[in-house]
Amino acid sequence: MSATFTTLTSAPLRSVLLFSAQMADDNKALALGLKRRDPDLLDQLIEQYQYRLFRYLLYLTSSRERAEDFFQETWIRVLERGHQYDSKYKFEAWLFRIARNLVIDWQRAKKMQSLDALTDPEEGAPMEFAAQNQPSPLHLVLTAEEKSGVHASLDRIPTVYREVLVLRFQEELGLEEIAGVLAAPLSTVKSRLYRGLEALRGAMQGGAA
Amino acid sequence: MNENLHASAEKLIAQERIEGISQSEREWLATHLRECPSCTQVAQQTSAALSALRGLPIPLPRGLAARTQFRVQLRAQEMREREPKRRLLWIMCAMSWALGIATAPYVWRAFEWAGERIGMPKLVWEMGFGLWWTIPALVAAAVVVLENLRQAHERDQAR
Repeated sequence: MSATFTTLTSAPLRSVLLFSAQMADDNKALALGLKRRDPDLLDQLIEQYQYRLFRYLLYLTSSRERAEDFFQETWIRVLERGHQYDSKYKFEAWLFRIARNLVIDWQRAKKMQSLDALTDPEEGAPMEFAAQNQPSPLHLVLTAEEKSGVHASLDRIPTVYREVLVLRFQEELGLEEIAGVLAAPLSTVKSRLYRGLEALRGAMQGGAA
Repeated sequence: MNENLHASAEKLIAQERIEGISQSEREWLATHLRECPSCTQVAQQTSAALSALRGLPIPLPRGLAARTQFRVQLRAQEMREREPKRRLLWIMCAMSWALGIATAPYVWRAFEWAGERIGMPKLVWEMGFGLWWTIPALVAAAVVVLENLRQAHERDQAR
């Protein structure tokens, strides 16, 4: 079997296939551990994903305190709903989706409309957590140096664009994975990415000028 | 130079980073960028924006992971403590439904007999039978709903 595998595949393809198989095995082990609510596994996952999840939540909520609350709440949900994780998909995509849903639920509880309807500039006025004529909370938590750099540029672009840019270029998720996190069609993800990239480039140019 | 060429080049610059482009498109873009300073500038600005985004540092709150691990462990312990109660509830429900199925024909006859004896309309004793049948499910559902409401309330208070 392994001899056939070796002779039929080229070295780079073989390493890709082996890597995919390894990832599938890892995801299965992860799904099993989550189903069992393995405490050591959860501790390890919290350590491993703390930076990425917090960064995503910070860009989504524009508030350090709220991002921290949602961070903790997300892991509680991972514990409670671990049995729902499907090992066919990347764990981080599932994790980000839980985090995003929590933010949306919170917004709905605050008697607001859904994040998508409010934040999508193609569908209506862009929403930020602060009032339109005030600096956003993200802006308020930035240090003086950060305000003049890429942080400030990100702060100037609408949340929906910021979110997909972070997922694509910081988290390096695939387009389908982002569509899964957002529960949105692939065409919407692509359109937001193109507009977001354009907006980021424009914002950085504006900041530099 | 034709404006359409610049628009195509700009589209490919973004597409290359978002979705990827074919070898022939890459070759065409490289040729165009060698001849066009304005599109070269767009490509450089896009690369600069993305590399700044990728290298962006976010300071983590102190002890965030440790605090979260503590909360998750507490919640896990709470869930473990509640699990036997919930399991008992489901066992009782299962037993109740099994007994209900086994005794259904006799209970039906009993309701029918009692209905005829006291001159009750057929619809009324049939509804009585239906209620008797659904009581265990209604009790179980009420317990689960109340438990979920209590948990949601606790979460809101914690937030």
